[in-house]
Amino acid sequence: MAVLLFVSVLLVAACGLIYELVAGTLASYLLGDSVLQFSTVIGCYLFAMGIGSALSRFIDRGLIYRFVWIEIAVALVGGFSSAGLFLAFAYTQGFQLILYATVIVIGVLVGLEIPLLMRIVRSRYEFRDLVSHVLTFDYLGALAASLLFPIVLVPKLGLVRSAMLFGLVNAAVALWSTFLFSKQLATKTALRVACLVVAAALSAGLIAAGRITAYAEDNIYADEVILSRDTRYQHIVVTRWKDDIRLFLSSHLQFSSRDEYRYHEALVHPGLAAIPAPRRVLVLGGGDGLAVRELLKYPMIERITLVDLDPEMTRLFTTHALLSSLNGHSFQSPRVTVINADAFPWIDSNREMFDFIVVDFPDPTNYSLGKLYTTAFYRAAGRHLSAQGAMVVQSTSPMFARDSFWCIVQTLKEAGLKTRPYHAYVPSFGEWGFVLAGFVDHPAPAAVPEGLRFVSVAGIPAMFDFPPDMSPVPMPANHLNDQVLVRAYDRDWKDITH
Amino acid sequence: MTRTRREFLALSGAALAGTMTPARGDRAIAGAFVDDNSTNGHRIRDRASFPSATQVEKHRIVIVGGGIAGLSAAWRLRKRGVSDFVLLEMNPQPGGNARWGENAITAYPWAAHYVPLPGPKAVYVRELFEDLGVLRDGVWEERYLCQDPQERLFLFGRWQEGIEPSVGVGPKDRDQFRRLEDLFAEFRASGAFTIPMELGLSSTTEALDRLSFADWLRARGVDSRPLLWYMDYACRDDYGARAADTSAWAGIHYFASRESEEKGPLTWPEGNGWIVRRLLERLGTSVRAGQMVHRIEARKTGVSVFAGHTEHRADVVIFAAPTFLAPFLVDGMTPLGDFEYSPWLTANLTIDRLPRTRGQSPPAWDTVVMDSPTLGYVDAMHQTLKTHVDRTVWTFYYALADGEPATNRRMLLQRSWDDWKEIILRDLERVHPDIRDCVSRIDMMRMGHAMARPKVGAIFSDERRRLARNGLPGGRLLFANSDLSGFSIFEEAQYRGVRAAERALQM
Repeated sequence: MAVLLFVSVLLVAACGLIYELVAGTLASYLLGDSVLQFSTVIGCYLFAMGIGSALSRFIDRGLIYRFVWIEIAVALVGGFSSAGLFLAFAYTQGFQLILYATVIVIGVLVGLEIPLLMRIVRSRYEFRDLVSHVLTFDYLGALAASLLFPIVLVPKLGLVRSAMLFGLVNAAVALWSTFLFSKQLATKTALRVACLVVAAALSAGLIAAGRITAYAEDNIYADEVILSRDTRYQHIVVTRWKDDIRLFLSSHLQFSSRDEYRYHEALVHPGLAAIPAPRRVLVLGGGDGLAVRELLKYPMIERITLVDLDPEMTRLFTTHALLSSLNGHSFQSPRVTVINADAFPWIDSNREMFDFIVVDFPDPTNYSLGKLYTTAFYRAAGRHLSAQGAMVVQSTSPMFARDSFWCIVQTLKEAGLKTRPYHAYVPSFGEWGFVLAGFVDHPAPAAVPEGLRFVSVAGIPAMFDFPPDMSPVPMPANHLNDQVLVRAYDRDWKDITH
Repeated sequence: MTRTRREFLALSGAALAGTMTPARGDRAIAGAFVDDNSTNGHRIRDRASFPSATQVEKHRIVIVGGGIAGLSAAWRLRKRGVSDFVLLEMNPQPGGNARWGENAITAYPWAAHYVPLPGPKAVYVRELFEDLGVLRDGVWEERYLCQDPQERLFLFGRWQEGIEPSVGVGPKDRDQFRRLEDLFAEFRASGAFTIPMELGLSSTTEALDRLSFADWLRARGVDSRPLLWYMDYACRDDYGARAADTSAWAGIHYFASRESEEKGPLTWPEGNGWIVRRLLERLGTSVRAGQMVHRIEARKTGVSVFAGHTEHRADVVIFAAPTFLAPFLVDGMTPLGDFEYSPWLTANLTIDRLPRTRGQSPPAWDTVVMDSPTLGYVDAMHQTLKTHVDRTVWTFYYALADGEPATNRRMLLQRSWDDWKEIILRDLERVHPDIRDCVSRIDMMRMGHAMARPKVGAIFSDERRRLARNGLPGGRLLFANSDLSGFSIFEEAQYRGVRAAERALQM
């Protein structure tokens, strides 16, 4: 009995310290400045323990009953503290508030534990023995926890699982106490059921911990992440679910292997197939090599120059077995030259002429990307276009971002180009828009390369027809000094998501 | 001034942050005071002895001072087909307030960093920009217009676009804003507030030069705190003076002289240094830097300008350096009383890693923090065409506007580089908490007489107008500095330089 009792003290003490360490570590991970985080977390925690100790004197009757409930509460709050804080950081603005509230709640509860325990067993021991034994085991528990935490728990289990494991220990102490003090407890069933429910919840949490962490770290990747790379420019993530491979750049979906052929065929063929004898082609953006795969279907093209900012991106799509198989190893073609450079300065400093230019940039989500959709940019790009040539611009969705789409059309017009907007349906994106621009009007193509799965000569005219829900809206052009497009894009997509 | 509770809290917060920062070992930040011309200036002031001339050069025209006024005079002479002139600049680098610097990341300005889109009356400015390819067939070159987003202001713990306060502005403030805008619109329509200022200057507005801008605002019933801050900021930004120390005429001119700027201003990574570079390319060896003029002497048939060991004999001299220097250089010239200047500190911070920003706000060209005594900073990489920027240079502006210019000038020179570094970093820490970890170098320029200070009475000063109109008796010494307008802005400097050149050619 005596030994078991003091083992409880040890375990309870260890649990308390673990929650404190978890909160401090998590705050340091997420907020940085570990000295500040640990100091404030420990300070709050000790202070809250003091409050708990002070409050303990207001508990007069049913000490054991209340002690068990407190254990159950610690198990629940402490056990889920880490998972809860991760999610709070990912999904709320008030992480720090939630952090300190959690630390204070756990601290108050833990502060109640030892005084209550001491009062529960005081009749069996001399006061001096009681204090000595309880504090000895209390400190032993602290030592055990502080060694276990960095050496075993964090590296082997991680923060989320560690907290849950010790929540289970608290729940076990609670359950065990109902047996240890079974004579003094009038109603035991409710307590035991509560213990088991909390223990079951924590066990389920332990099993699902991996998913919780992943969910908190990034809620957008529904599928298994098979590649994740932080480059100087962006965060590249490739996911896979059965035969569906998806590429995300800084959390924005770029393609799904199931329907990307629709996007890339629509991007390339309606414009390129109409040009009599294209020899030189420029691709701006498009570091996945999928547009290049379509371009290579034209034997008369002698040279394709691709300019993409991120060398890691083009390297992955050249050498990674799975990714380069998606683009048909297009970057290995002797006709293709890959240049890693910022597109606007590159076209500004280069003098080469091209018969076809593919402008395939990320959507204008911010002012930096917005520069690539301005009259200044299109004028500079137009200087590289041969007299009979054409340029195609990926122009976001005319359905979901109608103002943005027609703003891009207007911008190309103001840059002195003739425009022919069109659209195509890509299931993973929805209705998507493109603009052909050049100095001359091209007739619709009489033939397209063989083996296409989406674009056909018969189907092309319909792509240039805009039904009323996507028809033109009057929009000003986008300029470097007045980026109306970025604001319109923000409005357009907000209207849909909220 | 009574402090509000918010200000007090902000101050104690800053004090707390101040006591905590040294604990996290600062990373080493290099830097120095650069291009400090006070020594040369003080030699002239103290009438030190200079070597006597050993050689004589003859020119039709000599221009003293290679800032915008002097360079504009030279540009005009060239356009008129005159090449028999020389421009003498004291500093090793010409440009005056439009000087610039450059490092591995970008070029950056040392002072003046933009030109508002010139209105129809600023014909010489428009002509210059046509010459430089900035204005073509009535269309401004897009890449020289300040990119979006242009300005942002941090106030009440939040960011807003533009520096005219709109966050935390109530109906009363809005009402006063509107009333004031109407008044400025009337002044604009009156035609008395023009750029160049001389074209519209009329005695009907002389009364406005006899009281301060702050008093004028008070008399109009303006007591809105955000509005008063904005008016005061405008005076500090353009004149280096508080609204209480600025002539109401000048304060009104700031708001009434320009049409609302939908698309401007014009700016470049090195600020107005870009214009200086283009002018220097065109002027070639006519511009001689590092030539300190130490004496100017009227002769029977012309004027002699002494610099180094050379006596430059000219028919006419255009004095484009700050006018307050003239009595120290020109033999027999009486001292001046009406010319006062504001001291400024500017600093260029090399940013090796972009710092965090409190709250949500995309980087802008110009960042201002309300209730900071400084003017904020300008990002030299803002005009880049790149989409990805991970290093940059920030130009930090601090007009020492509070108190007497002479006292502030002494303080400017007395404080060490470390003192100023702390002042700058603490100011930036309000919005960029980890700025210390991101800066590798801070170079500073101390300008004791950075710009003319349009105090009460400065605009209609007889002394100023007489020098601007006549030059010195005999008309062979013409003045061209922007301080002859009462305030230092690019357009005034350029106008005065061009006018002086035209008059010199008529002699």
